[in-house]
Amino acid sequence: MPREIELFGFFMPTLLPMFLLAFGLQWLLDSVLARLGFYAHVWHPSLFRFSLFVCLFGAMGLFLY
Amino acid sequence: MNAKSLLRYVLTAAIFTIAVLVAITLWRHYMYSPWTRDGRIRADAISLAPDVSGIVVEVPVQENQLVHKGDVLFHIDAERYRIALAQANAAVDARKADYDLKRREAARRAVLSGVVVSSESQESSASSASAAAALYQEAQAARDTAALNLQRTEVLAPVDGYVTNLDVHPGDYATAGRALLAVIDSHSFRINGYFEETKLPRLHVGDAVSIHLMSGGPTLHGHVESLARGITDRDNPSGPRLLADVNPTFNWVRLAQRVPVRIAFDQIPDGVVLASGMTCTVIVKPHD
Repeated sequence: MPREIELFGFFMPTLLPMFLLAFGLQWLLDSVLARLGFYAHVWHPSLFRFSLFVCLFGAMGLFLY
Repeated sequence: MNAKSLLRYVLTAAIFTIAVLVAITLWRHYMYSPWTRDGRIRADAISLAPDVSGIVVEVPVQENQLVHKGDVLFHIDAERYRIALAQANAAVDARKADYDLKRREAARRAVLSGVVVSSESQESSASSASAAAALYQEAQAARDTAALNLQRTEVLAPVDGYVTNLDVHPGDYATAGRALLAVIDSHSFRINGYFEETKLPRLHVGDAVSIHLMSGGPTLHGHVESLARGITDRDNPSGPRLLADVNPTFNWVRLAQRVPVRIAFDQIPDGVVLASGMTCTVIVKPHD
């Protein structure tokens, strides 16, 4: 997978769109988890959400590098 | 504390730990794995200057044309050099005649007794025969130079490659030593990868390399050939009175210097067009 992609004539690191993708995925996952009432089993929901996002983004980034 | 509230803590702590580990791994990969997006395709560009001066009469090649070693790139008017060769040949003949005469004379006098010819005369004729021999050799050398000059009126391609920057046309006056075109050696394509010094410890000669051209196309493969052992120290120019001109810096912020690493292509696939100066991303696979 290329480490930088071209968008409208300029090159940017693939991490950038990947970040946005992870953000969208996180948003989707978060709303599903919230609907299922999963956060009742979590001590600190914001910390959990943040960690989940880092895991998603990090896993995608590791796939790249 | 019941089992349910313990689960609440464990779940959060577990995902937090994983997140920290993933973040650290990603950071290490990004910072220290040997790759760079500052790779440049390089090739030997040979500047071709004629060895003799004269009017250019014919340029049988076109710009960007592929030429092979020994192909004629341009002709310089040979007439003057042909005449010079004829003149040099004539001089050789004249010197040879003179040498033959003096040699025979010296040989004749050498066998006569001291009564008929003085020993001084014998000596003088022997020495003038040697001088004539030397002049004869000089004329031969001058003829060889004239022949070489005549031969050099045809400027040949020194390598297989592409004619670039062709700025010579029939009628131009070519001056010896002044470059008129460049030939890009088609067998010399390689990459200069500019790697930050922090990435160098994990990069070794012989490591496999993947190459992504900025223009896209298939992934190319190569290997690390060598590392440059010197770049300019930018804090070392001397200022007035030969004192070092050291830049003041913030103490904490230090920029990693970049060191050129020479990467050889394993093989260039057909259809991939390379030009010296193109940009590529270079990813080294450490063999650990």
